[in-house]
Amino acid sequence: MATEVESSLELSLSTSGTEPGTLPPPRSRIFKIIVIGDSNVGKTCLTFRFCAGRFPTRTEATIGVDFRERAVAIDGERIKIQLWDTAGQERFRKSMVQHYYRNVHAVVFVYDMTNIASFHSLPLWIEECKQHLFTNDIPRILVGNKCDLRSAIQVPTDMAQKFADTHSMPLFETSAKNPDDNDHVEAIFMTLAHKLKSHKPLMLNQPPNHSTVQLEAEPKPTMTCWC
Amino acid sequence: MALPRPPPNDHGRRDCDSKKKRKEAEIYQALNSEPIDVAALRRMAISEGGLLMDEIRCKVWPKLLNVNTEDLPPPPGKELREDNKDYQQVLLDVRRSLRRFPPGMPDEQREGLQEELIDSILQVLQRNPQLHYYQGYHDIVVTFLLVVGERLATVLVEKLSTHHLRDFMDPTMDNTKHILNYLMPIIDQVNPELHDFMQRAEVGTIFALSWLITWFGHVLSDFRHVVRLYDFFLACHPLMPIYFAAVIVLYRAEEVLACECDMASVHHLLSQIPQDLPYETLISRAGDLFVQFPPSELAREAAQQQAERTAASTFKDFELASAQQRPDTVLRQRFRERLRAEERAKALLTTKPRTNRFVKLAVMGLTVALGAAALAVVKSALEWAPKFELQIFP
Repeated sequence: MATEVESSLELSLSTSGTEPGTLPPPRSRIFKIIVIGDSNVGKTCLTFRFCAGRFPTRTEATIGVDFRERAVAIDGERIKIQLWDTAGQERFRKSMVQHYYRNVHAVVFVYDMTNIASFHSLPLWIEECKQHLFTNDIPRILVGNKCDLRSAIQVPTDMAQKFADTHSMPLFETSAKNPDDNDHVEAIFMTLAHKLKSHKPLMLNQPPNHSTVQLEAEPKPTMTCWC
Repeated sequence: MALPRPPPNDHGRRDCDSKKKRKEAEIYQALNSEPIDVAALRRMAISEGGLLMDEIRCKVWPKLLNVNTEDLPPPPGKELREDNKDYQQVLLDVRRSLRRFPPGMPDEQREGLQEELIDSILQVLQRNPQLHYYQGYHDIVVTFLLVVGERLATVLVEKLSTHHLRDFMDPTMDNTKHILNYLMPIIDQVNPELHDFMQRAEVGTIFALSWLITWFGHVLSDFRHVVRLYDFFLACHPLMPIYFAAVIVLYRAEEVLACECDMASVHHLLSQIPQDLPYETLISRAGDLFVQFPPSELAREAAQQQAERTAASTFKDFELASAQQRPDTVLRQRFRERLRAEERAKALLTTKPRTNRFVKLAVMGLTVALGAAALAVVKSALEWAPKFELQIFP
């Protein structure tokens, strides 16, 4: 059975400028993932970590939308993962970022574990996202960043987990910076990419070392199932 | 139609130095005349090399903004940072803006400047509650801070914020978006093929957002280029940065056309601004474009961009609404049919008479000499300047 993900993938191919009647050139599939959340939660660092494999030395405020991309192989298939890194300041959300929600295949919500306000903003981001995407049925994940700053944690895991469960999202706690945890960010995005590729039911596990987090809620039957 | 690459520099250094000396003398002459010859200063700020050095900028920038340097506000008190709604955001952005400071500057000095930067921004916001801070505003203020120092920077930026930057500082970014809508019509006038390619890619205009609202301060790493552009923009109409943005895109036409026609590829290419742009050539080119296609002439097309987008999103809504009801196969088929029909309709809509293109090209040829363009731009700038109000939107 064709799924939403498939059809939206096809939309992104069919609108990519090829003349009607001609076949598009062979190209790898693209997963378009938008990363959103408050200012300074680490959206740029997370996307940079995944695409460049390291923590950026100096990041600045993102103005508008930045774009990073990485090609990966999943089960022998070459796939491009596009990460759209958005500005955190509220004023950019409404009129600016909207355009970039088009044909998005997944959404990553980010909060800063050392900043409770960024966690409290999440309902707004979720609402915002619903408005732009018109549907509930694309994969969404929740990422708590800066877990290496242990003494400054303001958002306890159980609280975040409860929130994630309520919104049927898997939760990951990570650090884009922590050098001991190098491949954790990688694992998060790769899990998401596998998810998008396989269209299997959402049962995302935290990557190793964070086995406490597991998604329990299945998407509600009233929603179109993206999985 | 690609822009001409800059000619090889065949002036000797001595020639260049003497030209600079001459210009410096002219600038001081304009500054010392009674009354100050602001029109000449504008011309100098636009023409090759701009205002040459920061020492001169300290004197000329206030004149370009019609700011009285005798009457500087007192330094801010401690209460400035208390109960300011933007303080947290400003703090976050300034603390992260390390790259804006000259490489090699000692940390202590840079940290001091960052504190001044925060104060400068907050002071302007406090005195003008109608203005709203945006991420990127700090990139503009830091440029003034580094050139003219905190107290003068505050008054210059205050004037700039209530005029050139006014639209960016509205409660929402709707007007900023509207200004970005000028970008594609300008490109269309010069290179319709490029315009059509970018429209097909649906690249949007957000790649130019940081260029526009920071006057390129956010994206250029060489401070000399930033201040050179500030000379130019301070002397011109507030919409000049969008013309300059268009000129950069036009300059990269070949690269754009060689890339895959999709949003991601084109956005990615364009948002990575080359650091070795031929600034003087591009500045003169932007001046020419402004003269040939003044904002008033583009206003209608810019507004139309908005309408087209609305139509496009309505279509999208329709698609998504039917997605709830129909099997995907039918949906996809319908989508393709609609797409083709829409493309045909679009093709009809966008075929515009281009009969006067040659006339315009001739004008372009005549104004290629920077002097002519500069004069004309100065004239437009002056028409706008005495009123000191933004009448961008009819």
